[in-house]
Amino acid sequence: MLVTLWLLATIVFLLVSVLPGNVGRKVLGPFAPEAEVQRYNQAIGTDRPLLQQYFTSIRRAFTLDFGKSYGTREDVRDMVLDALGRSGKLALLAFVLTIPISIVAGIIAARRQDKITDRVIVNAGLASSSIPEFVTASVLLSIFAVQLGWGKAFANPPDNAGPIEQLQYLVLPATAMAIAYFGYIARMTRAGVITALHADYTRTATMKGLSKRQVMVRHVLRNALAPTITVISVQIGYLFGGIIGVEKVFNYAGLGSLMLGAVGAHDVPVLQGAVMLVGMIYMVSTLLADLLIAYLNPRIRLGATK
Amino acid sequence: MSEVNFEGAGRPLGKLEQELISSYMAKGVSRRSFLVRGSYLGLSAAFLGSIVAACGDDEEGGGDSGGAGEVKEGGTLRVASQRPGSPLDPVGMDNLGTYTVVSTCLEYLCGPGEGAALAPMLAEEWSPNDDGSVWTFKIRKGVKWHDGGELTAADVVATLDRLSVGNLAAYIVEGAATAVDDSTVQVTLNAPDGQFPYQLSVYNPQSLITPADFATGTVLNDRKTGTGPFKLESYDSAIKAVFVRNDEYWGGKPKLEKVEFIFSDDIDTQINGVIAGEADAIVLFAVVGGDALLNNGDVTVESVKGASHRQLWMNTREGNFTDVRVRQAVALGIDRQQLLDVVLQGRGVIGNDHPIAPTYEYFDASQAQRTRDIEKAKSLLAEAGKEGLAVTMFVPDLVEIPQLAELMQSQLKEIGMDVTLNVISTDTFYDSWCKVYDSTNEPAGCDGGEEFGIVDYGNRGTPDVYLVKAYSTGEWNSAHYVSEEFRAAVAAYQAALTVEERKAPIAEIQRIANEDVPYVIPYFYDSLFAYKKNVAGIRATGLGHFYLNSAGFTS
Repeated sequence: MLVTLWLLATIVFLLVSVLPGNVGRKVLGPFAPEAEVQRYNQAIGTDRPLLQQYFTSIRRAFTLDFGKSYGTREDVRDMVLDALGRSGKLALLAFVLTIPISIVAGIIAARRQDKITDRVIVNAGLASSSIPEFVTASVLLSIFAVQLGWGKAFANPPDNAGPIEQLQYLVLPATAMAIAYFGYIARMTRAGVITALHADYTRTATMKGLSKRQVMVRHVLRNALAPTITVISVQIGYLFGGIIGVEKVFNYAGLGSLMLGAVGAHDVPVLQGAVMLVGMIYMVSTLLADLLIAYLNPRIRLGATK
Repeated sequence: MSEVNFEGAGRPLGKLEQELISSYMAKGVSRRSFLVRGSYLGLSAAFLGSIVAACGDDEEGGGDSGGAGEVKEGGTLRVASQRPGSPLDPVGMDNLGTYTVVSTCLEYLCGPGEGAALAPMLAEEWSPNDDGSVWTFKIRKGVKWHDGGELTAADVVATLDRLSVGNLAAYIVEGAATAVDDSTVQVTLNAPDGQFPYQLSVYNPQSLITPADFATGTVLNDRKTGTGPFKLESYDSAIKAVFVRNDEYWGGKPKLEKVEFIFSDDIDTQINGVIAGEADAIVLFAVVGGDALLNNGDVTVESVKGASHRQLWMNTREGNFTDVRVRQAVALGIDRQQLLDVVLQGRGVIGNDHPIAPTYEYFDASQAQRTRDIEKAKSLLAEAGKEGLAVTMFVPDLVEIPQLAELMQSQLKEIGMDVTLNVISTDTFYDSWCKVYDSTNEPAGCDGGEEFGIVDYGNRGTPDVYLVKAYSTGEWNSAHYVSEEFRAAVAAYQAALTVEERKAPIAEIQRIANEDVPYVIPYFYDSLFAYKKNVAGIRATGLGHFYLNSAGFTS
């Protein structure tokens, strides 16, 4: 994991160093005097040798000390962690909305394989997952928030908002994300359940007289959900990627907005901090998924101890 | 004409003031222009009004914004605003989003008046000596800081000392400002300047007055202070700034109880917020992308006139445009009214290929306007041997400029020019626009750069920056324009101390720029701001300032 982290930090550094334009010029604006620009570059260290900048950037990645934002001069760690908290809240809500619905839909589709219900679920899923989140978000925003006034166009809840009020602010962006992930998770579940339904152990379980419900819970779902869980865990990483567009549309001050703003303003420390954090979330969520699958599937657990 | 009482000025009048009053009495200056110029010489509105009345010229109504009377007390105004891109440091700030927040608490000596004029703010009046080298500012009495204490001359002197090492280094040295008494500050300039108050006004956004013990680099969210109508309550650069009413505001208790600036990097989001009813006003937006507000019956859109413009530069020293006839052909080939109407929905005034906007008091309105003449343009191109000229136009991907370029391209096609557009991101545009200024290259202009393209210029209280940097010294002289005649006119303009004295050189400047056409200036565009129909009393400058002391809800 440390190696992955190092690789990530290196890639971020390389990408940032090939960004066009002069950092000082970009931050201070096109009409700032050249001397000011040079002084600025000196102060933030972009005039130092590339190798030296590289080591600084790696050290920062590992100590989670990304320095101060070029723009607001605020501490990047605080900015990034605040934003992570907000994005986490939104992602959690999106998950809570999407997982039960899509798993149930997947199971229904599998049990009614090739019937009309199955077709509707599969096609709806296909359609929803092929529309990018920001498009869904824009459509939801203009219909529900702007035209009907049923949701909020600015998704940041007030400071003292209770859980219900926060929900009112977050429901539209979370729905936009849920719609995008519904299709993928539902189809994965459907495929897993169909395979499990046709498996020998399911037939054995049915033959030995277990009730339909017992067969479903003990044998089918336990086996069928493993790939779904893998997909969901990978989706956590994607969720933080897809969140960028949604946050932008709803002016939500999460990691996505922070990253986009940082790209626009060439705010390298903020960009580094945010990307490293998303990278870490990705790694941790993948690890958790592996552990969960191992727990659900004894074959993997036992195989590992051989 | 009844007798004029000069005592009413409350102070002895200098040469500049006397000259203005006599030229107004001799009908050499219009009433509006007299009021505007009088204000920036620091004459009080009451005194100016008395002269207008004495001349029997007061039939026109005042410039009162109206509506303010119907405004009710209370309420929270939510304003969609650009996210601050720098800390809330009044001296170090560098972008409009930060100006909006900081100038809600802190104030200038000179505030915004009509057009490009100034109006009293923390200075009640100001006046120059005879040659404009020493300016005296009378500081308003009874102004209280949000965190305690009263504004005095010492605060102003300390602020000017802080600015003398950076922002105002070209005008004053440390110690140039002295307190004559508790409410009078005298500023001795490095060189005479009849327009110095502009440097202590909204037109120099960093010149906000801060307390004497406000160290350079202090941010407003650490030290919540100011003299303005609202006090900063909380600030989160990612989300919003919240202000509460300053009950002790010198200009009278504001109507609104609270003000929230809701931040966003994206103009579409801000506009959506206004339409969805989650913001009551928007600080600044452009016609391009602003359709939803411009065509919305629930929203009032206001224009702020100014000198913001676009320059289509043509390299006068190398390449296809060295012959003045080619440049004139381009200027004759475009249809300015169509550009303004189509690209900006008419929100601006057409230009005449010089950077003197009609909002400047010394603008020469008698100059003939260049209009489209396709035949003449064609024959000029033919005479210059450039029929069917094919060139590439460099265009920054910024607000309406790509659309402007496209329309120009099709208009220039009609005079036989084949223009290819190269639209590039603003990240790299400014490197190809005018490469790094090389002083050894003087007077040839900036080093290198493309021969043909469009660049943006923001609003200024005086045209000096355009005249010096774009048309003269070279730093932003993308046309590589060198004209001794023009430079002499600029020098004469800068040496002039009164508006009257400025008129002749400005007329020269307008004439030479129009004839030589180093830059085609198609229009001066308005800054736009908007608010819901149930809101009134907002004043904006187009420079990020959003004055809400008289604002409030009408229902």
